[in-house]
Amino acid sequence: MAGVAFSAIALWLVFSSNHDTHPAFGAALNLVVAWSFIASGLVAWTRRPDNRFGVLMTAVGLTWFIGALSESNDSIPYTVGIVLGLVGFAIFVHALLAFPRGYLETRIVYLTVGTAYAIVTVGQVVAALFYDPTPDCRNCPANALQVVDHNGVTTALNAVLSGLGVLVVGATVFVLVRRWRAASTPLRRALAPVLATGAVTMFLLALLLVLELAHPGAANVVSWVTLFAFASVPLAFLAGLVRSRLAREAVGRLVVALGRARAPGEVRDALADALGDPSLEVAYWLPEQREFFDLHGRRLPLPANDGARWATIVEWDGKRVAAILHDHSLLEDPALVEAAGAAAGLALESERRVAALAESEWRNRALLDAIPDLMFRLSRAGEYLEFKGRAEDVAASPETLIGRTIFDTLPADVASLLAGCIERTLESKELQRVEYDLTLDGRRRSFEGRAVVSGPDEVLLIVRDFTERRRQEAELEALHAELRDRLEELGASRQRIVEAGDVERRRLERNLHDGAQQRLVAVSLTLRLAEGKVATDPGVARQLLGTATEELAIALEELRELARGIHPGVLSERGLEPALGTLVARAPLPVEVDVPLDGRLPGPVEAAAYYVISEALTNIAKYAEASAASVRVSRRNGAAVVEVADDGIGGADPNRGTGLRGLADRVEALDGRLEVQSVPGQGTRVRAVIPCGS
Amino acid sequence: MATTVLIVDDHPGFRATARALLEAEGFDVIGEAETAVQALQAARELQPDIVLLDVQLPDLDGFEVAERLTVNGTGPTVVITSSRDRTDFGPLVSRSGARAFIPKGELSGQAIAVLLETPV
Repeated sequence: MAGVAFSAIALWLVFSSNHDTHPAFGAALNLVVAWSFIASGLVAWTRRPDNRFGVLMTAVGLTWFIGALSESNDSIPYTVGIVLGLVGFAIFVHALLAFPRGYLETRIVYLTVGTAYAIVTVGQVVAALFYDPTPDCRNCPANALQVVDHNGVTTALNAVLSGLGVLVVGATVFVLVRRWRAASTPLRRALAPVLATGAVTMFLLALLLVLELAHPGAANVVSWVTLFAFASVPLAFLAGLVRSRLAREAVGRLVVALGRARAPGEVRDALADALGDPSLEVAYWLPEQREFFDLHGRRLPLPANDGARWATIVEWDGKRVAAILHDHSLLEDPALVEAAGAAAGLALESERRVAALAESEWRNRALLDAIPDLMFRLSRAGEYLEFKGRAEDVAASPETLIGRTIFDTLPADVASLLAGCIERTLESKELQRVEYDLTLDGRRRSFEGRAVVSGPDEVLLIVRDFTERRRQEAELEALHAELRDRLEELGASRQRIVEAGDVERRRLERNLHDGAQQRLVAVSLTLRLAEGKVATDPGVARQLLGTATEELAIALEELRELARGIHPGVLSERGLEPALGTLVARAPLPVEVDVPLDGRLPGPVEAAAYYVISEALTNIAKYAEASAASVRVSRRNGAAVVEVADDGIGGADPNRGTGLRGLADRVEALDGRLEVQSVPGQGTRVRAVIPCGS
Repeated sequence: MATTVLIVDDHPGFRATARALLEAEGFDVIGEAETAVQALQAARELQPDIVLLDVQLPDLDGFEVAERLTVNGTGPTVVITSSRDRTDFGPLVSRSGARAFIPKGELSGQAIAVLLETPV
């Protein structure tokens, strides 16, 4: 409405003007310029109400009518016209620099647009203070703002303003060129018409400004041309829109192309083609992973939708299927992307399954890669189809493996084992195990294989080296066996100790019973007999008392002997060396004793040492037929070392008879050990090492 | 008529002392035996009133001998003796058919006489 009213006023002004040289032509051209801007501005505004580009274009058109005021025959409108007639140019600069997003961005752009507005408002007002139009235009009304008549100042000011104008125009062209160069292909296509005509207009404007100073005559022609170029900008914008409408037809072609798409990835190609964005990517939504993936099964994160790349989600049948990753410029016409996405929905849904499959395959492959074991794919005939693992774990070099068979590369027995396993796996369709040994690089190694069916007539065999485990098992088994032996030995030794104790107690009881006890009974009876004879036959009584006294003395001696056998009192009271002294004194052969001990040994060790020596000396006396013996007890590495040697006939068997065995048990009970060396003809040497403990 | 006694013990010293002791107190020791076999034979032949029987013999033990001697409720009065104490044998003495147990140290004619006067 404002546009129509302004047009009418402008037309009336032009045709009533008494100072315009080309009234009809000028009026028509200005109307065309104004209306082309208003119309294209309104179209842009309707399409994208939130984008200020449409508003700015409309504003250029509307403010263009201000210039027509200079055709007025009255002073005030005339002055407004000549002062503010160029505001449209500043808004045009603003619109161009805000294209296509509708807002300004960098500092240079702000500065340029600010300068443009300053020139056409403040600059023009200041210039008008010194401008007298009448010398150039006889019929023009008076300049209402004129304060001083000084055309020299006006000329100078105009030169300054024109210079600034050239700078603004230069900066605008610079920004436009830079924007063009930075733009992606689809963006360039969208920007091209407006940027090209805008840049040309700007260039012509600069030329015009320079010429007006130098050759005012030539400037006139250029000004017309500039005006035409200026008017072409909104037309270029409309042309761009038509192009985008044509792009919509591409969606129709897309549907046809999708109908033909077979191979994975063709949907993407068709979309890229239809939307004119070669950089376009498709990300497929896998609901189980709750992430987007590409057709190779790799994660494809969506851009944040705030930069050069943009993602548009595609749904099919109410469910999220994929996302189209495209250039930001396609948002010039977001409906187009959405339409393309909607058209491709079904095709994307089927490709999504390909992506899902690829993802799962990729994951399985990653899983296999993560397993440290060897992996073979083998055919029913034992042919290697695939191999993964370290070269040192296989019998042949990995490069030559594929295409050969297990019979070529493995020893016959192992190959037939594996062949059997393959056959069993394929027959049962269940996991089968196989164990085999191989000598690789001179080392015997044990392997365990697990086979599963991995396809028609082929199995996946995963092989693990368990040489180390087997070795550990063997070691453990040996350890167990040793432990069992030791436990058995310990049990036997315990039993022997218990038996030896029983035997010893029986012996003592027997000795007491047969010895001292019998004698004491006899003494008792003899005394009773004597008692009866004291009165009647004192001689017999005295004789009986003498017998009783003798019997008592013998009984006492037997008791002492017995007690010594149980435990030598000297040993516990005085220690090993004095105890050995009494032992040696009773021995029937000369015994040399050497006991270089400082201080006493622990009680149990001392007793064990004593009995070893005592038993050894008894054995020597009984069996060795020796002429001399020696005893040595020393301390070495925290253990008592007891050695008894003789020069007798030798040939003693430590396993025969209970004496030595009992001693060995006694020594072993203290974690010690007893050795007997007895070569026939070379004497006997008994050696006991008994740890003294902590 | 004096009570007749058979002494059974493998220790000659004890037999001699016991004989002297019992004879001094008026018993008639009509025989001695060292083993169970000899004891059974002597008892059969000599028919003593009393058998003084040691527990520990080289072949059978005294209880076994006592059982055989008293098997029909007839036979001699058996007195078991030992250098051990009565408590060492528990019920063996009464089960064997022996009349009583006298520790060797307490043996005397008096003790045997008391036994014989005690009703069974």
